[in-house]
Amino acid sequence: MTTVTSSRELPMYNRVVRRLFGSWDQTQLTFSFGLVLLMAISPLIIRSPYYIGVIILASLYAFIGISWNIVAGFTGQLLIAHIIFLGLGGYTTIVLLNNFGISPWFGILMGGVIAAIAGGIVALITLRYGLKLDYFALFTIALLVAMRTLFLKWEFVGGAVGMYLRLETPSVAKMIFASKLPYLYISLILLAAGVIIQYLIYRSKMGKYFIAIREDEAAAAALGVNTTLYKTLAVMIGTALAGVGGGFYVIYVTYIDPTGIYNLGVNAEIVMASPIIGGLGSLIGPLLGALVNKPIAEIIRANLAEARSGITLIVYGLFLIASIMFMPRGLAGLIHNVYDRLRTPTHQEEL
Amino acid sequence: MSPEIFFQTLINGLFTGGIYALVSIGLTLIYGVMVIVNFAHGEFLTLGIYIAYWAFTLLGLDPYLSIPVAIILVGLLGAMIQRGLVQQVLDAHPLNQIILLVGVSTLLMGLMQFFFGAEPKTMHVSYETEVIKLFGLRMAIPRLIAFLASMFVSVGLYGFLKYTRLGKAIRAVSQSRQAAKLVGVNVNYIYMLTFAIGTAITAVAGVLLSPNHRMIPTMGQTYSVIAFVVVVLGTMGNFMGAFLGGLIIGVVEAYAGFYLGGDVKIIASMMIFILILLFKPSGLFGRQGT
Repeated sequence: MTTVTSSRELPMYNRVVRRLFGSWDQTQLTFSFGLVLLMAISPLIIRSPYYIGVIILASLYAFIGISWNIVAGFTGQLLIAHIIFLGLGGYTTIVLLNNFGISPWFGILMGGVIAAIAGGIVALITLRYGLKLDYFALFTIALLVAMRTLFLKWEFVGGAVGMYLRLETPSVAKMIFASKLPYLYISLILLAAGVIIQYLIYRSKMGKYFIAIREDEAAAAALGVNTTLYKTLAVMIGTALAGVGGGFYVIYVTYIDPTGIYNLGVNAEIVMASPIIGGLGSLIGPLLGALVNKPIAEIIRANLAEARSGITLIVYGLFLIASIMFMPRGLAGLIHNVYDRLRTPTHQEEL
Repeated sequence: MSPEIFFQTLINGLFTGGIYALVSIGLTLIYGVMVIVNFAHGEFLTLGIYIAYWAFTLLGLDPYLSIPVAIILVGLLGAMIQRGLVQQVLDAHPLNQIILLVGVSTLLMGLMQFFFGAEPKTMHVSYETEVIKLFGLRMAIPRLIAFLASMFVSVGLYGFLKYTRLGKAIRAVSQSRQAAKLVGVNVNYIYMLTFAIGTAITAVAGVLLSPNHRMIPTMGQTYSVIAFVVVVLGTMGNFMGAFLGGLIIGVVEAYAGFYLGGDVKIIASMMIFILILLFKPSGLFGRQGT
């Protein structure tokens, strides 16, 4: 390891710093990968499978949070009941595996495809006429209740009992491992992919259109942005990622049932809480939020939920309320302020 | 379907529809005045039904006597939620408003689950199985009372909005916030009052529903969804639309329940919802393009 004390190395050091932390977007990306890396090396210190499990789900929550962040955070579309698409991806994966013997490696991708198709249909029905934002939110919640009713009655997917992964001997093809580590690395690869996809969208022209639609849809349309197309694209990208996340979620927790997944409380925990705590619309928000959200969810479940039911709902309700009332830009907003403060003095020196 | 079953199903549908109308009027009133969708709406119905349950179980109070209690308690809670939370986000991005109200909904469900338990409860009043027969149609007493009471409350509220000074002020604010302010209406007070009225009459619907009805802390979600469908059908913010829409959805559900079975009848409401969104998103009473 070289130290950066010698003056000859300083330009190099400056260049690296500028490359990694030159802009707030860059900084968020750097921190995101730093966090992914930290989670990747965490098994060196953390041996307990229980805590590894928490990290796996935290990274999965972050990935799912990114999928919602693209729809709600970037584009401002109120796809509240996003968990519908998580459920669709999960069911697709487990039906393909249990009923047709198709490997989850392919099944998870199919989950993403099915979820994206469903998302596209929903977007076309609801966004075609430039419906008001509220209507879209209402529609997704109504759809969630309808999906729950439908799946409770649908015996092919297990009805009210749901579907369970058959416990078999470990096999790579079926994504069944004895140790938790392979699951950790699969979920971290997913998360890294999510971080990159989110960043590329954010930097692309499409991402700029998404944000223009969020800020003022009428103005964006007046400037020639095909808002229906880009809203539909945002929903399809978000739902595709949610479907993939749902597929892996089901393989990891080994079961899925209608009341457990098509559920607004679960939706608040798995989908909404992480990006909102972390900062909706920011790049690092879903990741930061998930690292706060999942451990807290675990602590509640381990210590409090036994004592009295309802605690989880109370905590998530308060999370959502408090975030909007006191911290609408989330944790990322706080860090952004610190970042700006750190940068200003150097500007003044230059002046 | 014999004529007898046809009319019996119609009556059942109208009875359910009366409750839906009451819940939806609350939602549409809040939307009309504040242009905010109360995503926690169904939870106020759940509060009403639990207030009736506890008043009956602890104090032996007949459910219909707990209506004033429900109005006062839930109205106050509604006013507090409006003043403390909703008022602060009225000018924020709709996303923030909705996240806030989803948070309120989650919190209320959690609190009810915490204090009342997650297991289903049912209260049994002495007259719950009594039936009136009229022209060969059977009408259970509690459901008949619920229907008549919901009609009474709806008409009363309509009269209040139409003829009283305060009601006129509420309508003025819903027509134009600025103009109402100019003629001296205290807009923020009207907001709080409207939220209180909207949530209180929803709690009344819960009380009316309570005899012999299975209650769980999360039951409000279903009623929120039904109210969403109704107010979109009857045009958001339109009082008569919500009233008629509630009855229509009640009747449609009754026939759908007859053909599809009780649990899947919500699919019928969903189909109506999709059809409205596709062909007339402004609702039955809306002008084209709004």
